[in-house]
Amino acid sequence: MYAIESLVIQFLLNFVGREELNAFFRDPRAVATVLGALIAISGALLGTYLLLRGMSLTSDAISHTVLLGIVVAFLIMTRLLNQPPDLASPWLIVGAGAAGVATVVLTELIQRSGLVKQDAALGLAFPLLFAVAVILVARFIDDVHLDADSVMVGEIGVAWANTNSHCFENCETVVITPDDPRAEVSRQCSNCRDLGISPRDPKAEFIESCTNCGEYSPAQAWQVGLIDEEPATVFFPRALAVMGILTLLTIGFVTILYKELKLASFDSALAQALGFRPGALTYALMVMVSLVAVGAFDAVGSILVIAFFIIPPAAAYLLTDRLSLMLLIAPVIGTAGAYFGYDLARGSLFGLVHLNDILAWINTTFGVSLPATWDSSISASMVLVMAILFIAAWVFSPRYGLVATLIRRGRQRRVFADQVVMGHIYNHQQIGETGELAADSLHQHFDWTPTRMQIALARLRALNLVRVQDNLVLLTDHGMQAVEAFRQNSLGVRA
Amino acid sequence: MPQNPTEDRSVWLVIGVMAALALLFVPFSQIVLGVNYDYTVRTVALGGALLGVVSGVLGCFAVLRRQSLLGDALSHAALPGVAIAFLVAGRELGVLLIGAGVASWVGVQFIQAITRTTRLKQDAAMGITLTTWFALGIALLAYIQASGNASQAGLNTFIFGQAAAIVESDVIMIAVVGAVVFITLGLLWKEFKLITFDPEFAGANGFHITVLQTLLLTLIVIAIVLGLQLAGVILMVGMLIAPGIAARQWTHRLGQMVLLSAVFGAFAGGVGAIISAVDTDVPTGPTIIVVAFSVVVISLGFAPGRGLLWTLLRARQDRRRFAAQNVLRDIYLYNLSHDDPDIVVPQQFLVDLRGSIVRTGLTALEHNGAVVRVNGGWRLTGAGLQAAEADAHNQQLWDLYRVYGDELKLPLVAEDRQKDIRALLPEHAIERLEDLREGAA
Repeated sequence: MYAIESLVIQFLLNFVGREELNAFFRDPRAVATVLGALIAISGALLGTYLLLRGMSLTSDAISHTVLLGIVVAFLIMTRLLNQPPDLASPWLIVGAGAAGVATVVLTELIQRSGLVKQDAALGLAFPLLFAVAVILVARFIDDVHLDADSVMVGEIGVAWANTNSHCFENCETVVITPDDPRAEVSRQCSNCRDLGISPRDPKAEFIESCTNCGEYSPAQAWQVGLIDEEPATVFFPRALAVMGILTLLTIGFVTILYKELKLASFDSALAQALGFRPGALTYALMVMVSLVAVGAFDAVGSILVIAFFIIPPAAAYLLTDRLSLMLLIAPVIGTAGAYFGYDLARGSLFGLVHLNDILAWINTTFGVSLPATWDSSISASMVLVMAILFIAAWVFSPRYGLVATLIRRGRQRRVFADQVVMGHIYNHQQIGETGELAADSLHQHFDWTPTRMQIALARLRALNLVRVQDNLVLLTDHGMQAVEAFRQNSLGVRA
Repeated sequence: MPQNPTEDRSVWLVIGVMAALALLFVPFSQIVLGVNYDYTVRTVALGGALLGVVSGVLGCFAVLRRQSLLGDALSHAALPGVAIAFLVAGRELGVLLIGAGVASWVGVQFIQAITRTTRLKQDAAMGITLTTWFALGIALLAYIQASGNASQAGLNTFIFGQAAAIVESDVIMIAVVGAVVFITLGLLWKEFKLITFDPEFAGANGFHITVLQTLLLTLIVIAIVLGLQLAGVILMVGMLIAPGIAARQWTHRLGQMVLLSAVFGAFAGGVGAIISAVDTDVPTGPTIIVVAFSVVVISLGFAPGRGLLWTLLRARQDRRRFAAQNVLRDIYLYNLSHDDPDIVVPQQFLVDLRGSIVRTGLTALEHNGAVVRVNGGWRLTGAGLQAAEADAHNQQLWDLYRVYGDELKLPLVAEDRQKDIRALLPEHAIERLEDLREGAA
């Protein structure tokens, strides 16, 4: 991981200076946005396939188990192997990935036993796994990085603060051993408390311990003044490296296996018959989902991450019918969510609406005293922006949107009304039943209101399809042709 | 699965035993775990048990109507309601719960609007709603928290639940609301039963399904909202459905299931609340879920009839009986073909005929005294011969029944050659078959 970070930094240093790079990585907003975008891109790509396969809620199940996987792996690492607590450790990712696959296998097994329906199995599995994880966290983990709050919302806002330092010049690693002249030694009485004696007592025994021994990276050494020349370092946020690699992996996965995934998602039976292995592909997809869920856990927590999997693909699904387009649109929506979400957390929606103004307005109008400054969770706000974009797609989608549907229905209703009226006139005009064609009583034959008939007739006259002559409604030649045309096309055509 | 009055009664017995065991937890915890039932713990335990009853009863319907995941979405969706209610009215439990209910309710409508007007499936719609509402709730809570409002301290308990927050007035409110819910349920019992098991039939008979479904869903929302304080928004669904799933394993009747579920719910809620009230490090919601899940595991494993243990035992028994029957038949045929009832059949011959299952069959037969081992082979005993002849007779009758049953207009029974046909058909039918058999011989 460290070596990859170094490579990336060296690559970036070709284009920007070290200072600018550090400034960028030290900017909470930049890091949060990039991190959010990376999660959104990988989530949206995988989520697209989950959505198409009707497995959206599997991401829910996986994110819950992954939490348990992380907590158990974390406990094994810190308690049994005595490793330093590190949430970005690759081992956590491996463990949690395995846990994710285990969920899928387990729910399938429960379902196959036939004792419990699938929804109940999932509905029971989510909270149970989550409950066990929460109990373990509450009982055994006192580390700041893993508490109930971070489980809920993650810490995307402070991702910039957890960095690896990479040194490029004046790199001097300092190791202080207890024999080193710089070592600071403190003496502590080991049996004073047990015997209830003072340290001056002759029976007192002392242990000496070194307070500043250990290995110092160049950056740490400079900070505590162990070296004279400032090393040229770049501080790279760890979360970015993990999530960046996962995103590349995801993009590779959906590009290389594009054809196979497409086939298996739309026609699993055909894929099987053609010699692909849709089952294996499903598990590969689940592994990817688990990995991304783990990578994102630190940043957005284990519940909000589900939104990154479900909402952008759902919005894209309403906008297009093509898989390739969906795979492009969904990440864009997710990225937009990440970008504008940071602003929303600080009270500005797309730069158009300012929540502080709204709060002030509510306070003056209703005479309440809400806190005047909107300052909220970044990850939750990212999800909210995605939800707003989803609603926008729902309402305004050119083909499937609510507005488009309303317009289409209105047009169909109009066309139908026109055809019914013209058909009626045609039938009776042919055999000369003028009693049926009186303009002021025509609405009675359809059980319509007079106004409705007037509107329909006005429209037909404007289109030069009918004319009114001596209170009789008659088809024009043009209208005659139109009726004959649609009678040809309609299914109920009479000989 | 066949039902008869005896089985019904035995389930009532089970319910009684469960309820007694649940009650026994109180002295057990006092004596063994050393729990001191002071005023606080009593209140908390009572509140937990009551909530368990309410959610257990309504959870049955969620489980049977396959709405477990909807319950999950609904409980997550309650969070923004709590936050908004707090902003409007402060920390007033009644108002907070009403806010939660309204938010869940709007969530349901949102899910239904998505599935009705778009081509997205229900699972995606639930996922969208669940995360959006939850994010809104988290954002509002973060806003309230950032503003440093001192009295918000209790609000976080809605996420993971905090039993210690329950006071006496809450218990009274839970009891009153619970009573209203149960009265509604009692009055509309028949209707709810019908729309749970056969909504089309209910609709065809002129019941207003939409109204009834909405009402039932509202009751479920009420149960969820009441339980939020105890179990929290994330885990509430477990408290809702786990007792129902467990109860489902013990019985096939809705009334019994609901009662049993209420007992299980009370147990899980009460025990979970007590544990977390005694050890405040452990959040209440997770504890309740773990207790409830243990009840589910026990039910899945040991419930009579349906449980995995009984299924395994039954499968083993069936295999043994089947093997014994087949081996007996093989030996009998061997005897017939050699025209010698006392002949010794070499074991290897039987194994070659049927494979390794022969050993299972021979063990069972030897145990029954139907065969004896004679240096490397097997010989039928008198009882064994009788049994083999009776079996052959039975099979012949079955054969005849299969061929001539329709022609002779004999009563229709399912063909099960493991069973004695004489026990299944009336006497006159057996007589006809016996006549045919003698005619054939």
